[in-house]
Amino acid sequence: MSNEPIFETMIPRRNARGAEVRSLLAASGLEIEKDIQIFVVACDAGRIVACAGLAGEVVKCVTIAEPYRGSALACRLMCEVQMLAMKRRHSHLFLYTKPGNAVLFEGCGFHMLAEVKGHACLMENTPVGIRDYCDKLQPFRQTAQRIGSVVINANPFTLGHLHLVREARRACDWLHVFVVSENASAIAYAERLDMVRAGLAGMDRVTVHRGSRYLISKATFPGYFIKDSCVVEACSTAMDLLIFRKYIAPALGITHRFVGSEPFCRLTAKYNEDMLDWLETAAEEGAPIQVVEYPRFEVDGRAVSASEVRRLLARGDFAAMDSLVPVATLSQLRASYPRVRPAVDCRATELIGVM
Amino acid sequence: MCGTLESNDLLVKVEPRSELEVVISSVVMRQFGVRIRQVVDETLQRMEVTHGLFVIEDKGALDCTIQARVQTAVMRASECEELDWSVL
Repeated sequence: MSNEPIFETMIPRRNARGAEVRSLLAASGLEIEKDIQIFVVACDAGRIVACAGLAGEVVKCVTIAEPYRGSALACRLMCEVQMLAMKRRHSHLFLYTKPGNAVLFEGCGFHMLAEVKGHACLMENTPVGIRDYCDKLQPFRQTAQRIGSVVINANPFTLGHLHLVREARRACDWLHVFVVSENASAIAYAERLDMVRAGLAGMDRVTVHRGSRYLISKATFPGYFIKDSCVVEACSTAMDLLIFRKYIAPALGITHRFVGSEPFCRLTAKYNEDMLDWLETAAEEGAPIQVVEYPRFEVDGRAVSASEVRRLLARGDFAAMDSLVPVATLSQLRASYPRVRPAVDCRATELIGVM
Repeated sequence: MCGTLESNDLLVKVEPRSELEVVISSVVMRQFGVRIRQVVDETLQRMEVTHGLFVIEDKGALDCTIQARVQTAVMRASECEELDWSVL
């Protein structure tokens, strides 16, 4: 083996050498994940000996062929990935790896966020990422006994969400409402945030927070936004919940998390179920958080769901939405979606976060 | 971003920030951590850098390397191409 591997970028689907990357990954028990947009590969004497995939701001599918391990190749590979990501306007990166490899990546400038023991680690390429986020939350900390939290995608904000917030607020001294900020939903983040703010206007003891990369994002909960497979993996929901318990909840002194029961989406139902385990039961870092599940809010005997509202929106049926969403949501939807927009995809945006 | 993670080198990453913050990690933190910080701080002072987040991953670089990498990172971050070398 020569000492100077050459680094190249490669788009897996468009490249004949995709098969070579696939077999390299297979040797480490990995496969090319669907959301990877581009790979950095290291070639030695024409053969691909190492690779790292980039899916937005998430680095994954990283492997090095056996004979090349223990050299400085890993660091060079991670350097190349960061350069490539920077060109693609992502400087803050996340990385998934097996717990055994975490030390290796720590040597490459990655810092541990959370570990699902025996399964996976999530790391980020900055020593101050999560710290900065918690510092930003800190001023909103309230001194009271029962501090509640609700995480919603509000895609769009319905009477179901409003009901959940009201119930949760009644059950605690202060309520922190987080709006998922990942812009992967039918309705843009800014609009969703506006709807929540308008819907909760005038309510005291409630703080509405912007979401972040650390809360139901493509980084902490990748499986969630890759919808078509709807694969419910063992640890797919754990990372997100562990980060919430270890960093976000302590920053705000959160003692409770409230969710609406999920009768429709299997993944969301699984997330709620796992919540009890990871936030309340499991012996993990961070004080346990009590999980409280409320039955879905019903109108005329049917659970109100945001996906139903999106179906009506796609048809332009504003009249039928009247009984499902707050006034503010309806007027905003009317303003933003004046005509029928078949492009609004109902299926791909089944959102989580609670409903 | 500037530098590499090779032995005897360092990687410097710069991000916008309202105040000045320098975060250093080094394979020789225990022996030379104080000295590395001193070199970085001096270099930034001479370039009159007053804000920004500097994340430095050091792999045992010499002082002159640290200085050069920090200078280049500042120039890239500020998109400045002309430098008054006599001041440095």
